[in-house]
Amino acid sequence: MIYHLILKDLRLGKRYWALLPIAAVAIPFFIVSKAAAATSVAFALSSLFIVYLFFNSVSMAEEKHRGAAYLCATPYTRKTLVLGKYALILLLIGSSYILYTLAALIAPERLPVLGIQELGFSLLLLAAVFGLFLPIQYRLGYEKSRLVFFFFIFLMPFLLPYAVGELDGSSLSNSMAGLAPVMQGVLAVAAAVILLLGSMAVSVRIYARQNL
Amino acid sequence: MRSILEVEGLTKRLGDFALDGVSFALPDNCITGFIGVNGAGKTSTIKLLLGLMRADAGDIRFLGEDICKREREFKNQIGVVWDDGYFYPELTLLEMKDVVAAAYSEWDESQFRKLLERFGLQGKQRIGTLSKGMRMKYAIALAMSHRARLLVMDEPTSGLDPQVRKELLDLLLAYVAEGNSVFVSTHITSDLDKIADYLVLIDQGKVVWEEEKDRLLDTHRIIKGGAEELTPEVRSMFLTLDESSYGFTGLTAQREKVCRHLRNAQVERPSVEDIMLGYIGRSRI
Repeated sequence: MIYHLILKDLRLGKRYWALLPIAAVAIPFFIVSKAAAATSVAFALSSLFIVYLFFNSVSMAEEKHRGAAYLCATPYTRKTLVLGKYALILLLIGSSYILYTLAALIAPERLPVLGIQELGFSLLLLAAVFGLFLPIQYRLGYEKSRLVFFFFIFLMPFLLPYAVGELDGSSLSNSMAGLAPVMQGVLAVAAAVILLLGSMAVSVRIYARQNL
Repeated sequence: MRSILEVEGLTKRLGDFALDGVSFALPDNCITGFIGVNGAGKTSTIKLLLGLMRADAGDIRFLGEDICKREREFKNQIGVVWDDGYFYPELTLLEMKDVVAAAYSEWDESQFRKLLERFGLQGKQRIGTLSKGMRMKYAIALAMSHRARLLVMDEPTSGLDPQVRKELLDLLLAYVAEGNSVFVSTHITSDLDKIADYLVLIDQGKVVWEEEKDRLLDTHRIIKGGAEELTPEVRSMFLTLDESSYGFTGLTAQREKVCRHLRNAQVERPSVEDIMLGYIGRSRI
């Protein structure tokens, strides 16, 4: 059932099909060419852009046509519909990773292949953003959640340096620094999984109470 | 007669409006009309039945079983047709069908193809290009292709031309003849005059009555008479009265009693709409 829900979402966002592979490759190339030090965030930023753009186009169609109300009157449970959205996000991130890696293998001198550490932290960042965004969207709907997200993006330049400053020199940061990069990557992936599972549980609870 | 669906004490507050202890039972193997004016609570009740809203209180039983405990089994046995469709216009008919069919344990692909052909629908056509009537036919094809025991329809005939409406009504009669049931909400009661077996009237969030259609039509009469005959006793026998200086027209559920008092009155058989408006007008006096 989830497979059909993902397929439906991919069809709803098909106008972006051509754009997304280009973005998945072009954005990292551009970021790395302008700032070689930003290699580790190139994949995370391109994935963030791709997933947000695609997911929002699907959410817009859902809100406009209220197809989820029809599906909820069939044997699809609300929980299945929510799981379908998280699966879509994971699929989009996975596709971005595959495209990034293919591009990196073709031109390794211009785009480095991601190590487990970079991949882990990228996934953690994406899980944090979408793990927060989805429950907000289920609670507020597409239009209001978009405003919240724009406000969040606006605050990022102010909040990020503060957060990095706080994290730098903290006990968590010190203990992470003592670990091998592979271990850091594995821990980041584990944290991303926990974040997404928690977010999914919250989204399921919120959606179960919504009037459709 | 066995009930296919029983609703008891369904309550839901929605801002200024509330469904207040809605109770009724749908007889099996019948077409039940759920009637009421716009805003009476028909769609809200259907949304509660289908789990699109959570009730503040009340029970819903399908074939005697609580639907909350067996939601998937219940939804497997019902087909749903919405007035708005609630489809994704970007998808083709077959793409939307793929999503819907995956949810049902007894999806009948050959039945679906037969219905598409009967309705003259092309599977590769985008839903957004369908007319209102074609979209309704598509919704019915989806709803009738998984061996549903009960078809739930919200305002299916509003906005349809007379030919499509007739086709739809014929289809519903054939569906019930196969041993199934239909619950159809509408404010266009002329369709129910033709096909309904049973009626439930809702007004301002409350069920006013539920009754067999033939019994309702037999027990109610429109009476026309002279103004001078309208004594206080006669007046009390009417559900509604329209009076002028020449005479009156009224709806009564006490046909024989009225006729005994008014020997020269003109008696007419009412339509479902006359009866519905009579009760709604009465509750708002």
